[in-house]
Amino acid sequence: MEKDKNGRKIVLVACGTGIATSTVVAERVKKLIEENGLNAEVIQCKMAEVASKENEAHLLVTTSILPKTYSIPVVNAMGYLTGMGSENIDKEVIKYLKE
Amino acid sequence: MDNLLHVVQYILNLGPSVMLPLALTIIGLIFGQGFSKAFRSGITIGIGFVGINLVINLLVNNLGPAAQAMVDRFGLQLQVIDVGWPAAAAISWASPVAPFIIPLALIVNLIMLVTRTTKTMNIDIWNYWHFAATAAFVYVVTGGNVLFALVAAILREIIVLKIADWTAPMVQGFFKLEGISLPTGSTVAYAVLGIPLGKLVGKIPGLKNIKADPDTIQKRFGIFGEPMMMGLILGSLLGILAGYDFAKITQIGMSMAAVMLLMPRMVRILMEGLIPISESVREFLQKRFKNAGELYIGLDAAVVVGHPSVIATALILIPITIFLAVILPGNKVLPFGDLATIVFYIAFIVGSTNGNIVHSVITGVVLMAAALYMATDLAPLHTMMAQQAQFAIPEGTTLISSLDEGGNLLNWLIIKIFQLSWGWVILAAAVVVGLIYYFITRNKKAIEQ
Repeated sequence: MEKDKNGRKIVLVACGTGIATSTVVAERVKKLIEENGLNAEVIQCKMAEVASKENEAHLLVTTSILPKTYSIPVVNAMGYLTGMGSENIDKEVIKYLKE
Repeated sequence: MDNLLHVVQYILNLGPSVMLPLALTIIGLIFGQGFSKAFRSGITIGIGFVGINLVINLLVNNLGPAAQAMVDRFGLQLQVIDVGWPAAAAISWASPVAPFIIPLALIVNLIMLVTRTTKTMNIDIWNYWHFAATAAFVYVVTGGNVLFALVAAILREIIVLKIADWTAPMVQGFFKLEGISLPTGSTVAYAVLGIPLGKLVGKIPGLKNIKADPDTIQKRFGIFGEPMMMGLILGSLLGILAGYDFAKITQIGMSMAAVMLLMPRMVRILMEGLIPISESVREFLQKRFKNAGELYIGLDAAVVVGHPSVIATALILIPITIFLAVILPGNKVLPFGDLATIVFYIAFIVGSTNGNIVHSVITGVVLMAAALYMATDLAPLHTMMAQQAQFAIPEGTTLISSLDEGGNLLNWLIIKIFQLSWGWVILAAAVVVGLIYYFITRNKKAIEQ
């Protein structure tokens, strides 16, 4: 996977509105990045905007159903909302960002 | 007692950007968060309010005069600005009755879970704002009656939870989300008429077998999915219709692009402040209903609006809604802020038509027309609500409304009941009928078992 100059990875966090559920997820992912000392940045957006942003990004974390297939890996973060299996999602996100 | 009232009145007069941080700090403390965490989220929410007010200002001050000029030039009566759900949510949370809604809605949900009148454990605190909206509207309609406002909110919540229960099998079947229901105030309101209508449209000969491909539509109509482009185009278009010169057309276009991008950003701040409380509520509910049998976890409908057929249907309905607003006699709402929210309105309709975009669009046209009329009808109230919340709406010249709450069937019906002087009769009758129905169905189940 291509990285930008300083190896920084871009994580897209998306949901239907780019406001409500994605804020919960974005906060959690930001915390993960900080606590694990990862070199990554979170961009929060609407599902419909992902198509125009996926070329610059390395990972998509979303609470929503996917409208199409994407060229970057996708992590389903619904568990962050329901509180079930959040730790597994944590691990998956970290795995992709450490690659 | 008098002194206490004075204190309460004084705090209310400080406005929502001060009152709500205070109230939410207290709620945070009640849920056992430390003072610094509770205080921090309270302040964050206050900042969200200040931000939203700035953007509403930008919106109304630019769009207001342009809409007025358009009225003068063409007789197009679109002088009610659709401020969109982000603003409607902020206005609702700013109502003096809103702080009561979080604990109240939680208690109502708890009681319904315990009595098995709902299977939905609604952990989506953010969408409590729809209940707050109904409370805020009724508070204004009844001239500041707190009790009526809260009863109205409870009524709305019960209906929303029941519809969430009813539609949960579809959420599971069509959207493939197991154990999830979607008690989102906007989405469920469209289910009431949308689901039967969608099924009916599917039966019309000739239409029955027509289908459309979601991918092609997403590509062709993709631009309508980008809020800032929508803002730019709509703003410029209005500038042209208002007869502005080129310089002013570009300026209003840019301002509206800014509104479309900035408004959600501001609401995000509000949301950030709500996260700790929302997590506390989730933990609280899950601890108590761990072994309560089959329950649905109530989430924001945002989790399904990414479905390809939902996005495709909404993209087509965006230009159609603008067109409807222009041609429908008697409509005064200029759709703007909630064009991006149409995905939420049609999510359940798309589910009920099994993802058939053509059937969903036809159903959507009827419902969007109805939404425009309801939003027109509620505009004076909506505006009054915003003014009482100390949002910057210029007196007399501009009216605001929103498709999301102003054009919401459930909200509209409940407000209408409370507007009638004999509304209480209807309400009491509804409660009695509801109770009888509940006991009959419960007895039936008991007999069957």
